[in-house]
Amino acid sequence: MGIGEITVRQTILIGAALAALACAQDAQQDTEKVTMPFSNPSGPHKLVVDALQGSVTVKGYAGQEVVIEYTPGPGRGRGRRTGRNPAEPPPAGMHRIGGNRDLDVTESSNTVTVKTGVFAPVSNVVIQTPADTSVTVKTLAGRSIDIDNVSGEIDANNFSGAVNITNASGAVVAHSMNGKVTASLNRVPPDKMMSFSTFNGDVDVTLPADAKATLKMRDDNGDIFSDFDVKLEAQSPAQATQEKDKNGRTTRRVRVDGAQTGSINGGGPEIQFTTYNGRIMIHKK
Amino acid sequence: MARVGAGEISKLAVLFERHHRALFRYFVSMNRSREMAEDLVQDVFFRMLRYRSSYNPQKPFTAWMYQIARNASLDQAQKHGAEVVGIEEFIERRAEPASPAPGPEERASQGQSLGLLRRALERLPEDKREILVLSRFQGMKYDQIAEVLGCETATVKVRVYRAIRALEQIYFALEKEKAS
Amino acid sequence: MTCDEAKQHFAEYWSQSLSDADEIELEEHLGGCDACRTEAERLGALWRQLAPPSEEPGPGLRGRFYEMLRGAALRPARSSRPPVWQIAAGIALLVGGGLLGYGLRPKDSELAQLREEVSSMRQLVALSLLQQQSASERLRGVSWAYRVEPSDSEVLQALLNSVNGDPSVNVRLAAVDALHAFGSNVVARKGVLGSLEKQDAPLVQVAILDLLVDLNDRDAEPVLRRLMQNVSTDSGVRQRAQWALEKLQ
Repeated sequence: MGIGEITVRQTILIGAALAALACAQDAQQDTEKVTMPFSNPSGPHKLVVDALQGSVTVKGYAGQEVVIEYTPGPGRGRGRRTGRNPAEPPPAGMHRIGGNRDLDVTESSNTVTVKTGVFAPVSNVVIQTPADTSVTVKTLAGRSIDIDNVSGEIDANNFSGAVNITNASGAVVAHSMNGKVTASLNRVPPDKMMSFSTFNGDVDVTLPADAKATLKMRDDNGDIFSDFDVKLEAQSPAQATQEKDKNGRTTRRVRVDGAQTGSINGGGPEIQFTTYNGRIMIHKK
Repeated sequence: MARVGAGEISKLAVLFERHHRALFRYFVSMNRSREMAEDLVQDVFFRMLRYRSSYNPQKPFTAWMYQIARNASLDQAQKHGAEVVGIEEFIERRAEPASPAPGPEERASQGQSLGLLRRALERLPEDKREILVLSRFQGMKYDQIAEVLGCETATVKVRVYRAIRALEQIYFALEKEKAS
Repeated sequence: MTCDEAKQHFAEYWSQSLSDADEIELEEHLGGCDACRTEAERLGALWRQLAPPSEEPGPGLRGRFYEMLRGAALRPARSSRPPVWQIAAGIALLVGGGLLGYGLRPKDSELAQLREEVSSMRQLVALSLLQQQSASERLRGVSWAYRVEPSDSEVLQALLNSVNGDPSVNVRLAAVDALHAFGSNVVARKGVLGSLEKQDAPLVQVAILDLLVDLNDRDAEPVLRRLMQNVSTDSGVRQRAQWALEKLQ
């Protein structure tokens, strides 16, 4: 392995990159916009975001295409290319994106995949997608994942920052290793399971007051709070006590050891809450 | 690891996630302050990227990584004058939990003797301390340690034995000091 | 074995990484040599007491690393596509399906056959759901796994695969929980134990540790010790491993 193995293509790239860095000292931060359509907008469609780092925002909207706005870091605005091989036809079922090496967007079989490389550290990627898209977001060292107004399924994994989900109407599976997971659901689909977990951070979920669900909760080093009337399963040794939180609302505090199962509004699909170092809070909307 | 070549930046990111904590703790065990240890971790990954073409995929990755770690440590010591943390500060820093829950060392009922053991380790000559750290903490196999240190595997085994014996002597000396 | 040779083997002996042949030879020597035996015990106690540091680097380190990568001005690789999961067509439709639409009370042999059909249906559903692209569906697959027989080796293997490789931490967590039911199965215990050190999610590691305690798996001891000594282990996990060790003794 060594220099010899770097292809000619990549050498040109590296050259261009260095040139771009060299002459773009005071480049402005332009927001770049990329649009990607689905092959079949009326069929089920999916958005997958794989961000090495940087914060990711996804918003459901009324349009049909995926619109990605991205602010490149300093020094990236200039030196943009239109693609290394503009003459090369795209592979079947795929569209080419403007050749920006910071952002890699492809579409295949109704799944739009957005990858940000290492060049998106502190800039925000803001993605608009049809509200009924199923959204999967994964970041390794991301700051936060924010997802709003999505009615498709949501799968969010943040290795190091917070996950904030608002106005969700579909099934949600969310995890953060070192951040807080906050989610506000407009509905609890009757036939889907959901799961919220963190290692170091609170799990804070808001459900509609009339939501029917079975709650499976495990909190190793913290307490579980809810203002729902949670019917705990008979064999649980836990005790529920009422207290007033700082806003003066009455909340129920449930002290547990290990996993605890309870139901709200008669029970329904299972929602799992797990945290090691944090609190679990389940709010009524 | 063999593919950290041109374009394999994301592989290095994965390696970072996997190994940075162990590396950090290695430098801390070698008496570097937290700040220095963080700088060194950064340095090691930079060097791994820079010198990736010198990595032989046939050889174990951790041995290569720790070779670089030692070089980085040496270079830093030369540049800054080794910031060896004093004993009191060392114990103090160890006592601050970096995580919410105290580690088993803090909880143990033999808290006293464990603190003493730490001090003894800290006072070991650098080469003896290093070989103990590599074998006991980083859990490296002897042939890998031999690779890192540039000596024979048999030598490593003898040196580990001598290092633990030296540790014991210092430990007893510290105990006597305390008692008097 | 001479005394000098014996001393060289001490550290490996304490770490239980000696070859069987060497271990036998060493123990023979220690059996007959008081000096070496007492030294091995004394120094071994010290060796065992040595615990790796549990410091965590500060939050800025990661950011700085990624800044550095960026500054290296090299193009990131286009990584390979995620695997395409096979979707077993139509099986999931059996859920809530018509198998139980019998009007008449089945006879014993029919009952046994019905049970078997239901059981293999559950297995099929579980296996199929576990392969879905949707994390929520895979969660459901795990919940179906609760309903199969503890002797079902295919579902067990699928659960173990999930624990080891599912991209969603939540699914892995759920799979560990489901494995409680398979506790009497040696494959399950071995699989779970083997997974512990390979996990990158501390939350899953904690769940596995709880499972091991629940199963009262004494074989776990050396693995737990290794986990605790491993300098990469998160300190919260290490603490839980310590607890697990105490519980298993």
